[in-house]
Amino acid sequence: MIFEIAHKTHYRYHSTVVQSLHLMHMTPRALSGQVVRHHNLLIEPSPASRQAGVDVFGNPNLIVDIEAPHRELLILSRSTIEKHLPPSVKLSATTPWDALDFRLLRAANERDVHVLMFRCASRLTTPTLEIADYSVRSFAPSRPVLEGAMDLIMRIYNDFEFDPHATDVSTPVSQVFAMRRGVCQDFAHLALACLRARRIPARYVSGYLHTHPPVGRPKLQGADASHAWISVWAPESGWVDLDPTNGILARDEHITVAYGRDYDDVSPISGVLRGGGEHSVSVAVDVNMVADATAN
Amino acid sequence: MTTAAATKTEISPNLLSAYRRRDIGGYDELLGPGGAPRPHWQPLLASLDDLTADERQLRTTRLARRVRETGIAYDIFADPNTSAQRWTLDLLPIIISADEWSGLERALIQRARLFDALLQDVYGHQDLLTAGILPAELIFSDPAYLAPCNGIVPRSGGLMFYAADLARGEDGRWRVIDNHTETLAGIGFALANRVVHTHVAGDIFNGCNARRLAPYFQELQTTLTHHSGRENARVALLTPGPHHEDYFSHAFLARYLGYLIVEGHDLKTRSAQVYLKTLEGLKEIDLIVRCISGKSSDPLELDPTGFIGPSGLLRVCRASPHAVVNAIGTALAQNRGLGPYLPTLAHHILGEELELKDAPRRWLGDPDARQELFDHPDRFSIRKAQEGTGRPGQAALGWEARALATPEREKMKREIALHGATLVAEEKIGFSCAPIHGSDGLMPKPFAMRLFVSKDASGSYQVMPGGLAMSVDPDRAVALSAPEGQTRDVWVLAEGEQAPHISLWRPTLATARIERSQRVIQSRVADDLFWLGRYSERADWTMRVLRGALRRIEEDSAPDSGCRAARKCLEILFGKDLDLLARGREAKDDAEIERLCATLIAGGSGSRTLERTLDGLYRVAHLVRDRLSLEAWQTLSKFRSGETWREALNSSQPVEMLDILDEGIAAIASFNGFMHENMTRNFGWSFLDMGRRIERAQNLGEAILTLFIPLPDAEELSSNLLLLLELADSFITYRSRYRLDPMLPLVLDLLLLDETNPRSLSYQLSAIARHLESLPDSSPGSELPEDRRLIIALLTSIRLADVEAMAKEDDGAMLERLLMDQLDMLPELSNEISRHYFNVMEEAPHRAQTRVDPTI
Repeated sequence: MIFEIAHKTHYRYHSTVVQSLHLMHMTPRALSGQVVRHHNLLIEPSPASRQAGVDVFGNPNLIVDIEAPHRELLILSRSTIEKHLPPSVKLSATTPWDALDFRLLRAANERDVHVLMFRCASRLTTPTLEIADYSVRSFAPSRPVLEGAMDLIMRIYNDFEFDPHATDVSTPVSQVFAMRRGVCQDFAHLALACLRARRIPARYVSGYLHTHPPVGRPKLQGADASHAWISVWAPESGWVDLDPTNGILARDEHITVAYGRDYDDVSPISGVLRGGGEHSVSVAVDVNMVADATAN
Repeated sequence: MTTAAATKTEISPNLLSAYRRRDIGGYDELLGPGGAPRPHWQPLLASLDDLTADERQLRTTRLARRVRETGIAYDIFADPNTSAQRWTLDLLPIIISADEWSGLERALIQRARLFDALLQDVYGHQDLLTAGILPAELIFSDPAYLAPCNGIVPRSGGLMFYAADLARGEDGRWRVIDNHTETLAGIGFALANRVVHTHVAGDIFNGCNARRLAPYFQELQTTLTHHSGRENARVALLTPGPHHEDYFSHAFLARYLGYLIVEGHDLKTRSAQVYLKTLEGLKEIDLIVRCISGKSSDPLELDPTGFIGPSGLLRVCRASPHAVVNAIGTALAQNRGLGPYLPTLAHHILGEELELKDAPRRWLGDPDARQELFDHPDRFSIRKAQEGTGRPGQAALGWEARALATPEREKMKREIALHGATLVAEEKIGFSCAPIHGSDGLMPKPFAMRLFVSKDASGSYQVMPGGLAMSVDPDRAVALSAPEGQTRDVWVLAEGEQAPHISLWRPTLATARIERSQRVIQSRVADDLFWLGRYSERADWTMRVLRGALRRIEEDSAPDSGCRAARKCLEILFGKDLDLLARGREAKDDAEIERLCATLIAGGSGSRTLERTLDGLYRVAHLVRDRLSLEAWQTLSKFRSGETWREALNSSQPVEMLDILDEGIAAIASFNGFMHENMTRNFGWSFLDMGRRIERAQNLGEAILTLFIPLPDAEELSSNLLLLLELADSFITYRSRYRLDPMLPLVLDLLLLDETNPRSLSYQLSAIARHLESLPDSSPGSELPEDRRLIIALLTSIRLADVEAMAKEDDGAMLERLLMDQLDMLPELSNEISRHYFNVMEEAPHRAQTRVDPTI
């Protein structure tokens, strides 16, 4: 499938911003099953400098300096992405979660640091004893790791309520767990905390989800959103994406922008400003399918 | 050894009798197995023996005073609600023989090389992790591992500074109880201790032939210059600021090495360069000596919760890896969990035996270590693997499993199973003891010591021949946990003659270059100095007016007029609020005046009470502490550390109050005197002086307005004239000039118009005008900046004033108009100067993040 994505972020500041510096993860990364056919990023006012780089996880990023005084900031990211269906995975045929230590550490082959680093708790995914207890029910001894992970995200999907007003960017995962509500970012962090409490390698994925309008209604422009889900590792399959917000395995409608240990690593736009006072932000995302099959 | 003291072999038994009585176990640094003093302590003991007990006590007292005056002991400007940091320095140092030192030196250099290589790998190829020589989860669970620094550390030269805390166990072997790879780890405290100790006991130091520290710091300077890649490098020490518990160390070191001390908001980054915001615009910084934690070094890419470092610093390091030392991310190597892996790492990386081991520890991320802990919980205490670097001695105490009841133990077990990768279990190793100077003479006391290592110009490492020793409680501590703050100097004995004494305070012509250029002034510092000027003048004025009021009630001759004059005085300070405070009553008696004085000193919410003014003065003085001369600082700290001064002022009778105020006025005068005599006449001075002048002009204007508008009757007029001359310290000038009783036009001429009288209004204004002329104009253009326009208006209005005509007027309308004009424009001038030079437009930085917030 081919998608055209427009992601518009518009900041309006109460007073003049004297200078601002932004770190962005807005460029979708190339992955197996995901081809970036086209991407461009428009920023207004025009930055004094743009430094593009690739972070330690392999995500493209960009640092921009805006030195001209401004009251508004517009960031428009446009991408054309080609998605392929991931190979199907037999969840019940994966290594038992409690045998991962052996597979990762004791086996004679080289250790894969890019897997090991995602077993460790991070600032936003540190489990509490209560979270560890919650996760244990999905991981009976010897249960295949991805079967357990799927069970866990289904439980989160059923036990937690989607509520955009209950949390904000700084709400800790312990509080999300206590309130039983939050948004996709919170559910992703919670799932990661649960998995990392069992030392199962799991990472945070930031991206877009193609949504379908209710039957018989036209698709509304700007109604899509940036999205977050998780990816869990098993020796048989490598990384497999699971979406706790929707209780599904990700297929070809989840478009990955970046992955990391948690939101801190891949926040779409993170800025440090001088001046500006209060600000308001409006975000509009459109994910449009332009071709149903891969155009050859 | 050639000194008389050193050749003396017989030590009188009295000196050690108390020490011998108190055997507290552990290895004894002073006495050998046979009970005789070890040879390397002999010279020190001989020197001490030459002093009488009284002289030793006297020196101890003098040390305490010097420690306080230098500012190590008390963070005297700290928030009074936080407990004061204690710091004492013992007369007795720890002595280390040349032989033992060479072993320690070799071992510490080996460790620095090892940690440097480890950091290169972990932030580079990660071969150690891939091969499993170092558990990957030990690294990745440590918040000090900063993923965005990957690739930067290996190119930046990694570990410039390293420090180790050492303790000697019962077996006589030194062990490292903590490593510090983040910052300079309080080296400034060690340096300050040595400076203070040498002032009091330099003769003893010389008698022992102990090694000096100056050559080490000289090498350090050379290394940093070399590292920056520029001959006249602009080096800045980046500190979290005066509120930080380690700030003293940062400020002391910066001053000793002649480096700038800067905070994050003094800096601005562009893609490959860091700049300092100064009065003259942005100046390039060649090298930052980092004294802030790695993770708070860049709010853009690292810890998003704080704003300590300048945002964008990491991308500068990516382009110019040599810009910051230690490289950002090095704190990783101080993870306590690394201890058990160091011998293997030394083999693998250096191909050497590890010469000095860590105290026995287990990393609890290892399941076998967890099992061992659960099997023998009483043997271990549990601590965090990673702890921030702050003031030495503040290491947290361990968590004792045996102290817990069973349900808590179960909970702790589960916590350890969950978070083991961030914890260590450790066994106690004991501490050796060495003498301190106690009330009965020498007493044994356990200690641990911190030694400091840094790169030298050739790229190898050097160890500072000295250190910071602290007394510890051996029953509780496993690390340098010494909240009592009892410190000792560390003396390393030299082999043979030493090179002649060099101090960086007094560089020789060979080591220094003549430099007349202005030291760069940060905009922030200019702002603080401006307010220092204002507050010191305001404090002086407030005390003078209070003294004037009190003197008038004490004059018995005419109680009624005395009271009225006293009230006038207070009116000057209270302005319009006086009626409010006096609750509409005329002040009839002394008691009422005294009540008002008390209010002025400490009371209420008024922003101009003496209490508030002094608080403001201390606060800004603290902010620019590194710009004040030692004497100026000491004057203020003596004044303040006499909290008794304030208490006395609040509780005493008027007569005593007068004495106390005199003392206060003298202290402020001597502070101002030191500032005046010692401060270089650069832009910083201009701002300090402008602050003072604006404050003085305003106070004088308000006083004249209060005293002469509306014009009082003849009797009150002459009393008010005397009062004004007294407050403005111009009585003698007037008398020597006129030999007449004060007359209004003459007094007004002297205090308003006379530009040669340093107390007159026009003198203040013309001084401000001269300062403004000399300042760089940060935005040159054809338009006159607002501050210049205001000072011209102020000066013109005063120069055109006709005092004789004013004095002839019955209603004083012209005088009133003149003063009102001045009093309107002066605050405006102050604001304009702020706006022009201090970046007040820039608010504190803040963040904007978008949240993943779908509407599905």
